[in-house]
This record gives sequence, structure tokens and C-alpha cells, in this order.
Amino acid sequence: MSAQQVSTRRISVKRYLPDNSTEPYWQEYELPVDDSTSLLDALNHIKEQLDSTLSYRWSCRMAICGSCGVMVNGVPKLGCKTFLRDFDDEIRIEPLAHFPVQRDLVVDMEIFLDHLAAVKPYLIDDNPVKPFDPKAPETYRQSPRQLARYKQFANCINCGLCYSACPQFGLNPEFIGPGAIALGHRYNLDSRDHGSTQRMAELNRHEGVWSCTFVGFCSKVCPKHVDPAAAINQSKVASAKHTLIALFKG
Amino acid sequence: MTKPTMNTPSTDSQRTNQPPHHQAYDESLWWGLFSAGGVCFAVLLPSAILFFAVLLPLGWLPADALSHERASRLLFSVPGFLFVGAAVCLPLFHAAHRLRHGMFDLILGRDTTNKKLMYGAAALLSLLALGLVVAGMFR
Repeated sequence: MSAQQVSTRRISVKRYLPDNSTEPYWQEYELPVDDSTSLLDALNHIKEQLDSTLSYRWSCRMAICGSCGVMVNGVPKLGCKTFLRDFDDEIRIEPLAHFPVQRDLVVDMEIFLDHLAAVKPYLIDDNPVKPFDPKAPETYRQSPRQLARYKQFANCINCGLCYSACPQFGLNPEFIGPGAIALGHRYNLDSRDHGSTQRMAELNRHEGVWSCTFVGFCSKVCPKHVDPAAAINQSKVASAKHTLIALFKG
Repeated sequence: MTKPTMNTPSTDSQRTNQPPHHQAYDESLWWGLFSAGGVCFAVLLPSAILFFAVLLPLGWLPADALSHERASRLLFSVPGFLFVGAAVCLPLFHAAHRLRHGMFDLILGRDTTNKKLMYGAAALLSLLALGLVVAGMFR
């Protein structure tokens, strides 16, 4: 701890230990904090000093890996980017909403990964520039303007906070969801990519962009300011265009 | 569903619980009507309310501005037909879309049924409104 003033804070953590009990329960911990204590620091302190049975995910401590997402007083947040100094009253920590809980704060993200894979979040090019082709004059070229079209949507770290924020994903887990659609949209906007027709098959479904009711909470909780709600609504316009074209082509 | 990995994207056969890639071609139409209705509602309704519900009752307009004869002439015409389409029909579809999604949020009924009920009601009321205008044009 630094030389800053150290005080004692109480935080409640929703525990779920399937080996001991089928019911989750709340447990309170009291720990020393200062102005620089992040929620992840607090969880690490609990794990190391108070209760080694607590389970949670973390890795990078700097909002890059996207592992430490939890609900803080009902709002999805990254533990490493959340500071206890910003909370006056009680702090209640729960596992990310809308995902099956495996143990304590660890959730099963499988369904998100399924949806992510379904939108093919990688460059699709039928005639790619081959790395060692002597006839290929150069690798892909992209202007700053072409980069700017998708750059914001490329900042996603797959933390899943937007899925916990999305009431539509909560009602219907088959909804592809904000993060995956934002990443699909990111590749659709990429000048090197030619896979938008393939992705459209996933996006232009009831469980694709059309399940979104533009609540916008996904964009509010996104720790990287990706704005998935904008990506989904831009994808709705693209889907409508696609439908119109399909209508005239028969 | 089996677990697709990032390098082998999911295929149709892996999604066994629903028809593979069932395209929602109708949703573009509902969303388009919803958007158009929202714009028309926001733009036309305040001015219509200002005109019919504020200025007219306050007597700030000429007395014969909306006399029966003049109002009939304005309404039962092609511009009147377009006005009813924009100020009544499109907002009806806007409301139907909101109600349908609101019912889904509250887990009321089945979405496929709600869809038919809501958009069906909007279509019927629209036909009625436009039909009255057309009937008036051929009096």
C-alpha cells in the first residue's frame, strides 16, 4: 500500500460453491483500501489474505484482456478499471449477468464465443495477397480514412460486459448480441474484407440485428468505447439494403 | 450445439435447434415503417397539434381557416391522402412495433402471434383511414 490514507471498506461478494451448496449466498469482507485500490486489487487481497476459496478471473490488470468483468451494484464493469473510491455506500459484487455461473464470480462465456464465431470475425478474402507470392506487388494497402471507418469497432476486448448489460440477450440467449455484431460490423467495414455476404446470413436474422431494441446500455458499459449499439443499428441499415437487393434480384 | 473454434466457423449443421440461417426479410419492412413513423410523428404531430388544438381554439387563425367546406376540400385530396398516410398510418406502424417489442420485453404472448396482431391492427386501421379519405374523394 502507498503512503496514502488507508481506511477499511466492507464489500459483499455473491458466492456460489456448487460443491458445497446449490444455492448462492452473500459473503462480506472487510479490507484495507486507499484511493488507488481497484476492485481487482480488493479481490486479490481477499484471495491472498482473507479467503483463498474465492474464485474470479483476471489477468492483465489494465483493461486489455477483458477477463475481470463482474457486476458492481448491478452494473457490469471491469474489476481493474473500477476503483473503490468511486463508491460511497455499499459495494455488491456479483458474477456477470445473463451468463451461467460456474463458481463464485466465474461465468461460462461459451455462448458468447459461439455467437462470436458465427459472425466470422476475421478477414475474408477469396483472393488474398499471398505472403511469399513473387508476383504480388505488395501487401494490403489501407488509407487512414479506410482505417478510420472500422477502428472504433476494432477496440473490442471480448469482455462480455455488453452481454450482461443487454436486456434482449437476457431474454433470448440466441440473440447474437452486441459484442459479436460489433465485431462482425468491424470486418464488414474493412476495405480488405469481402465477407459481408457471408456475415449477412447471420446478421439478417431475428436472432441477429433484429433482436436489438436500441436500449443502448451496451455502449454505456463498454470499457473500450466501442459503441456496439451504433454498430448494430448501422448493421440494421445494411441488412435492410441487403433485403431490398435480394427482393429485386429474386 | 457443438463448440465451434475461431478458425473453423460454425456451419449450418451445427445449429440444429433452429432452421439454419433463417433470414428475417420481413424485419427490414417493420423497421423501415417504424423509423419512418417515428420521423413523421416527431415532425408532423407537434405542428398538427399546434394548428388544430392550440391556434384554432384560441381564435388566432381566420375563422374560416378550417370551415367544414375547406377542411373537406383539404382532406379529401391527394395532399390530404399523403398527410393521413404520414400523420396516421406510419405512426400506427411505429406504435405497433413498440408494442410488439414491449410485449416481448414483458414476456407477454408469443412474438409470432404478437407480430401478426400488432402489424395487422396497424394495417387495418391504416386501410380504414386511407379508405375514408379515398371514399371522401369520390363523394
